[in-house]
Amino acid sequence: MDRIVNGIARGVFVFLYIPIVAVIVYSFNAAGTNTRFDGLTLQWYVELFQDASLMQTLRTSALVAVITATVATIIGIMFALGLARYRGRGRGALLALIALPLIVPEIVLGVALLSVFSTTKVPLGILTLVLGHLIVSLPLATLVLMSSAAMLDPSLPEAATDLGCSPWQTFTRVYFPLLRPAVVAAWLLSFTTSFSNIVMSTFLSGVGSTTLPLKIYSSLKTGLTPSINALGALLILLTLVIVLLVGVSQMRRILVESRG
Amino acid sequence: MTATTRAIHLGRQEKPKRGSLLLLIPGIASVVLLGVLPLFIVARNSFAVADDYGGITDGLTLENYTKLLDPVYSKTLLFSLGLGLLNTVVCLVIGYLTSYYIVSRPTNRQGFLLLLVIIPFWTDFLVRTFAWITILGSGGPIAGILGIFGIAGFSVIPSNLAVILGLLYSFLPTAIFPIYASMRSIDPSLKEAATDLGASWWGVHRRVILPLSSPGILGAALLTFIPTMGVFVIPVLLGGGKDPLVGNLIVTLYTEFRNQPMGAAVSMVLLVLMLASMALVGLALKRSSTKRSSTKKTEA
Repeated sequence: MDRIVNGIARGVFVFLYIPIVAVIVYSFNAAGTNTRFDGLTLQWYVELFQDASLMQTLRTSALVAVITATVATIIGIMFALGLARYRGRGRGALLALIALPLIVPEIVLGVALLSVFSTTKVPLGILTLVLGHLIVSLPLATLVLMSSAAMLDPSLPEAATDLGCSPWQTFTRVYFPLLRPAVVAAWLLSFTTSFSNIVMSTFLSGVGSTTLPLKIYSSLKTGLTPSINALGALLILLTLVIVLLVGVSQMRRILVESRG
Repeated sequence: MTATTRAIHLGRQEKPKRGSLLLLIPGIASVVLLGVLPLFIVARNSFAVADDYGGITDGLTLENYTKLLDPVYSKTLLFSLGLGLLNTVVCLVIGYLTSYYIVSRPTNRQGFLLLLVIIPFWTDFLVRTFAWITILGSGGPIAGILGIFGIAGFSVIPSNLAVILGLLYSFLPTAIFPIYASMRSIDPSLKEAATDLGASWWGVHRRVILPLSSPGILGAALLTFIPTMGVFVIPVLLGGGKDPLVGNLIVTLYTEFRNQPMGAAVSMVLLVLMLASMALVGLALKRSSTKRSSTKKTEA
């Protein structure tokens, strides 16, 4: 029986990589169609960068993702440090509150924010996108930072305080250097969450603030072009870079240990 | 740590720290203002009356909910429920077997295998979906192979089969992580003991590994079932939009029909389903843990 399970599991790993390999291979396909493979070309990548409207959505997505990731990381650091030192009542409730947006279906959070912005007449644009992306990135960033903050030796900041450091100095000289890997991970994970978000953006983007995933989605409705394969291959590369920057061990801690 | 320093630590922790409470405010405020309060507005809107301009007029009505029984909506709700359950079961079964495989490998290989699951998990959701158009669509390699056998012009896309495949591909990694997490903490000697005592492969799984990994399985079920119904990209791109899911219904009601109250009512259904499945999972977890502790007692 174990042998059958091994066979199935190996099949699963092949299944997980078929689409990824297909996108990368066809992004270099000289034939304009997926039926034939006519040799290698970089033509689709060139076309990608010549597409002005696509580049505009790329800029929008990058801007929104950078702002979202930075704000989520700052709020996340504050929350993680605050909670690490807080032993009072309601600790569990605070944890549940910060994790809430991970449990509520994202689409419901999206329409909920849209309802707020439409009643308060806030025009849809970069700001509404950032707020929407923030609510889905914040729990992730905070959980990453919390698992690191919990491992800090509480005597270190105390020693810094006893040696005359102000709270700010304690943060910049003790906490920040110790938390740096988690800060980098939290920022990168928030960045990708925002950059690849489509659910929130569907409801919260306005005229002139179309994001890259929205643009890809709308062009896919009319059909797949080789350029989209090239874009997909670049996004897969981005994922690889981010997973490696965050580090496999840290990634494992986030995805496995926090769910154990 | 000596007893005195521990006493000092404890003494310090008991002191209320106003500074650390202030640090929590931005996080709490963000979730309350951008998450909790908006959800209450959706709940309120689901009882509201739509005006002709995509807005909302005052007044309370249950009409949005009674309209859900209309075949237009109930068909989609039932179809989503079915597809959500199907996808959850498939993800759990395959996720269970894959996790079992990973756990059975030596520790240093487990890290690499997990990385292999993490990479597709973090890959852009849209890329993961349109990759299947590349493979299964007309003009793709599968159609090409079928063409060789004389089945010309065949395409798996659009079809519900493609939607099921796309859903499985999107949610399988999500299901693997929690199952692996709880399987990893099972003492491997338990499996050996069960085998030595004559338990078959099925016996070992049914009586040892499956019950002990149930927290992870239940967690995986929760992470798969509700998000599946909220998906709207996959039915459009892989299913041709013929059989919409709850997610498509919500998008259409809000962005095309601009019927906020009706969209809010459908969203509330999703939210209630989420709460119900969480309660169910919580109940199942409680039952499995009491069962385990009672068996422990009788064994002792």
